[in-house]
Amino acid sequence: MVKETYLHDKHVALGAKMVDFAGWHMPVQYSSIIEEHKTVRENLGLFDVSHMGEVFVSGKDATVFLNKVVPQDITKLAYEKAVYCQLTNKNGGLVDDLIIYKIGIESYLVICNASRIDEDLNWLVRNKRGLDVKIDNQSHNYSLLAVQGPKAIDLMRKMGYNIDGQKSFTIKPAVISGVKLLASRTGYTGEDGFELMVENEHSEYLWDKILEDGKEFGIKPIGLGARDTLRLEAALHLYGNDLDETTTPIEAGLSWSVPKDKQADYNGKEVITEQLQNGVSRKLIGLVMKDKNIPRHEYEIYFNGEKAGHVTSGGVSPSTGKNIALAYVKNIPEICTGATIQVMIREKLHDAEVVKRPFVVKRNRV
Amino acid sequence: MSLKDEMLCSKTHEYVVKQGSEYIIGLTDYAIDQLGDIVFLELPEVGTEFAKDETFANIESVKAASEIYMPVGGKVTAVNEELVDAPEKLNDDCYENGWLIKIEASDFENESTDLLNYENYKKEVE
Repeated sequence: MVKETYLHDKHVALGAKMVDFAGWHMPVQYSSIIEEHKTVRENLGLFDVSHMGEVFVSGKDATVFLNKVVPQDITKLAYEKAVYCQLTNKNGGLVDDLIIYKIGIESYLVICNASRIDEDLNWLVRNKRGLDVKIDNQSHNYSLLAVQGPKAIDLMRKMGYNIDGQKSFTIKPAVISGVKLLASRTGYTGEDGFELMVENEHSEYLWDKILEDGKEFGIKPIGLGARDTLRLEAALHLYGNDLDETTTPIEAGLSWSVPKDKQADYNGKEVITEQLQNGVSRKLIGLVMKDKNIPRHEYEIYFNGEKAGHVTSGGVSPSTGKNIALAYVKNIPEICTGATIQVMIREKLHDAEVVKRPFVVKRNRV
Repeated sequence: MSLKDEMLCSKTHEYVVKQGSEYIIGLTDYAIDQLGDIVFLELPEVGTEFAKDETFANIESVKAASEIYMPVGGKVTAVNEELVDAPEKLNDDCYENGWLIKIEASDFENESTDLLNYENYKKEVE
């Protein structure tokens, strides 16, 4: 059975093209992916990301427990702060990537990918043995609305939310237009913005109110198509493409999210620590095509005439007009920023340049 | 008579319409709408021959890459170069200025029997 979010009828009424994504019937675009993409970069966009998972983790051992399942040091996470991390398996591979929020004493909110909720829950339950922890999947009770773009701040202010003191990667309980919710200053676009977690029954009201109040800021509803081009430009990983159970955070270029001095043991620590010390055999790179051809998921990468890896996410970059990709390649020093590699597209090799990530630099970090 | 009244369409969304002694081939508006923002187009060289149902061009939207097939076989006599440089124009017009190639058909009569007029094509795909 394909699932629908509480906002499904809103999307259909707005003329969205709907597609099946991770078991959900979701809007892929309302008008044009390129137009929607530019709206978020220049003004303001509203996304329904209610398909994502919301899991509450609480209990006497909640901190100890979460610290055991992710490489990040959860003991250092302050109240109302958020941290990007990964759920690692015993081999250092990734069960999922997550954002964990500390919302109380021994109380956390975990936001996970829609496609991975079941795997995540199974994995969490398997790891809680002997610990005093409650794992409470509330995904079915909450909707998640994301407002993203340089004017997100203006919209939040207009809707009566006092954002002063709420920095990037923090979460606060808030009342916006009379609706009680959790407001997190996070997103998946490379822009400033907020993700608003609200009980399902208030989601339609909030959706309409945001579109109404956002009019003066040029707001538009944005589908999953533009969400993907936006996150790719920001070089944010997509689980299932750029990350899976065989990729480690080190290979994926996520070493910044793996503290080197964490004392506590966690799943995969041995492999990850070894990779931090001795390096990895493959690495994630960014690339920009030198011609008009478009690199896509699973296309092969060549270097000096030999197969050297494959594209994991690729496509057009509406902000730059270039064609870009994330790819895993052999970790050799010759494949470095500025180097030329080739992508096999329709049985021909096309030149691309290895570039620094992200492809588009976030302009509005606060 | 408009183009839509005269053209025949394949179930893979190509249209073919007679113009003088040649045939014009393109993609239907329904196909373009399904693809969304067109960002890449690769057309064959003039003089190339293709059989019916053979891939003669590649098109990509933001979302995906697709192949375009010959609704009938023939030899390419002209390609719409302007579109290769600005494939996004297909989103505005895939007929008058949005044709892809012109061909000399090899056996139009026998090869066009499975093609549908626009009205029936729309019924079939929607």
